[in-house]
Amino acid sequence: MANPMEQFKIETIAPLSAGGFDLSFTNSSLWMLISLLAISAFLFIGTARPQLVPGRMQAAVELLYDFIRDMLRENVGKDGLRYAPLIFAIFIFVLSCNLIGMVPFVHSFTPTSHIAVTFGLAMIVFVLVVIVGFARHGLHFFSLFLPEGTPLFVAPLVAAIEFLSFLSRPFTLAIRLFANMTAGHVLMKVFGGFVVSLGAVNIGLGIIPLGVNVALTALELLIAVVQAYVFALLASIYLNDAVNLH
Amino acid sequence: MPQFDPATFGSQLFWFGVIFTLLYFVVIRPTLPKVGKVIDARETQVASDLDRAEAAKGSADALRAEHEAAMKAARDAAQATVAQAREAAAKAADLQLKAVTAGLDADAETAAASLALAMTSARAGLESTVAELTSEAVARLAGIAVTPADVSAALAQN
Repeated sequence: MANPMEQFKIETIAPLSAGGFDLSFTNSSLWMLISLLAISAFLFIGTARPQLVPGRMQAAVELLYDFIRDMLRENVGKDGLRYAPLIFAIFIFVLSCNLIGMVPFVHSFTPTSHIAVTFGLAMIVFVLVVIVGFARHGLHFFSLFLPEGTPLFVAPLVAAIEFLSFLSRPFTLAIRLFANMTAGHVLMKVFGGFVVSLGAVNIGLGIIPLGVNVALTALELLIAVVQAYVFALLASIYLNDAVNLH
Repeated sequence: MPQFDPATFGSQLFWFGVIFTLLYFVVIRPTLPKVGKVIDARETQVASDLDRAEAAKGSADALRAEHEAAMKAARDAAQATVAQAREAAAKAADLQLKAVTAGLDADAETAAASLALAMTSARAGLESTVAELTSEAVARLAGIAVTPADVSAALAQN
């Protein structure tokens, strides 16, 4: 049976190094680039001639954009709409990277199954929150770590815990997405292996894991969408802290 | 797990940075705000259309109320006219009836008077006839000559 971890292997396509760092163009980079091209096609076609009564493609773009705007309006308020393009960029990048790894037969790769990429995404959210927080509230932003009405004698403890939880946000964001994508893909690969090994024993026996894999594929597609949504939702909730300070 | 191989982190983060920067500044920035503007324009358009529809509905309601009031006034006026006409007609009919009744009464009275006159004259004629017949009968049966005047006197005596 093939090693279920093999699918996550980074393979260099075009070697490149700068200043002692290995910056090679890899299969991960390739599929991120394909994601970018798919998103570009979607957006450039959808917004080519924006009309009051939208066509199909414009309606599709509007549906997604409205979804993000509504999320920001609900979690951050009117002020949050300024960040809609950035949250949209994060959402659609995660969504397309999640989904593009589900394309069969073309040796596709899921860039978001790697913690380096998901950590990069999480750092964008973290840095955005810090910059917006200090820009809007200055040093008052630190009051985020001391919830209102905290008794004085537990204040240091609460502040320490809040600060740690604030610092851990990019890690939890990154690990949640990476772990979800990795676990689902491993599971699919394992059951794919079962199809071969059980099918070799008896062709009828191989049907069972194949059926499971069909169901897992549907589940993985769902997870791909839900995790993109969760990532964008958490980003907007964190953004709310920076914009409104609780 | 290949995910925890730090040797690949540099290239992944580098290409992620490049591609995400392209995504945000080259793809999202020039396209998405256009759609946002259209969505906002549509929202204001729909809101103003709704306002206009509301105003139109208000004026339509006012017109309907006006129309209903006019209809009611006209109906009331027509009813009043009809009632007046009916009353006048009834009064005229009453007067005519009274006149006719009076005429009939007078006719009946004169008829009754002439009837009474006829009856008296008839009765007078009857008495003389009776007296004549009686005197004739008495003369034939008893052979006594009695004049009708005697018979009349005898009848008047009884």
